[in-house]
Amino acid sequence: MKIDQTIDIEKEHRSMKIDQTIDCIGVFCPMPIIKTKLALDVMKSGEVLEILADDAGFEKDLPAWCSSSGEKFIEIKKEGSTIKGYVMKK
Amino acid sequence: MKPDKEKMTIILFSGDMDRSIAAFTLATTAASAGTEVSIFFTFWGLNLLKKSLFTLGKSQSILQKIFNIFSNSNLPVSRMNMCGLGPIMMKYLMKKSRTASLNDLMSLAKQLKVKYIACTTSCSILGLSKENLLDSIDEFAGAATYLNEARESKINLFI
Repeated sequence: MKIDQTIDIEKEHRSMKIDQTIDCIGVFCPMPIIKTKLALDVMKSGEVLEILADDAGFEKDLPAWCSSSGEKFIEIKKEGSTIKGYVMKK
Repeated sequence: MKPDKEKMTIILFSGDMDRSIAAFTLATTAASAGTEVSIFFTFWGLNLLKKSLFTLGKSQSILQKIFNIFSNSNLPVSRMNMCGLGPIMMKYLMKKSRTASLNDLMSLAKQLKVKYIACTTSCSILGLSKENLLDSIDEFAGAATYLNEARESKINLFI
């Protein structure tokens, strides 16, 4: 049962529709978070934003920011030095 | 969803470039999460709001002019200032590492509706008037106004 659920969640993420991607590679705190906020401002409720960043703090900052702003944090993926963050607009 | 808007205040006293960057980093991040942020600029903090380098006025006394010449909108850094060399090197390093500059952060703060309050007492000590200072200042007020804001805020910083 548990295994099935994991597979379901993975499937959901794999098929996650990304509505917009922003590139924050090379910029540092607070810019990745601010850019995330400004991008979400012009998106519709339920749309998913992908953020590419390489500031190491972003991995912790994105979920923290989501919990204070109320936006829905989906996940963080790490690919080498690139951190990919996913947020759904509330 | 939050029931009420959260609030945060910062007293920007020092007017150092590095300290101001820390203040504005926190202010813009909080504002981006929907927090209502007010910054109370007092004493050397007013240097951030000066329109021109020296902000000299006819109504200022000699002493006020001296203060405004030596403490101007060209901000020092709190360590290793080295007669103004420090800020130049710091700006260079920040540009090289693509970190947001204080000017970038200040314009973002306004975009995110961070409220600027200028301390009227400090203004009158230094002979500064509304004309000498940026138009982006929302209020000119004193301690009671700040304390009212601080009482409603969960995060209150003195920088």
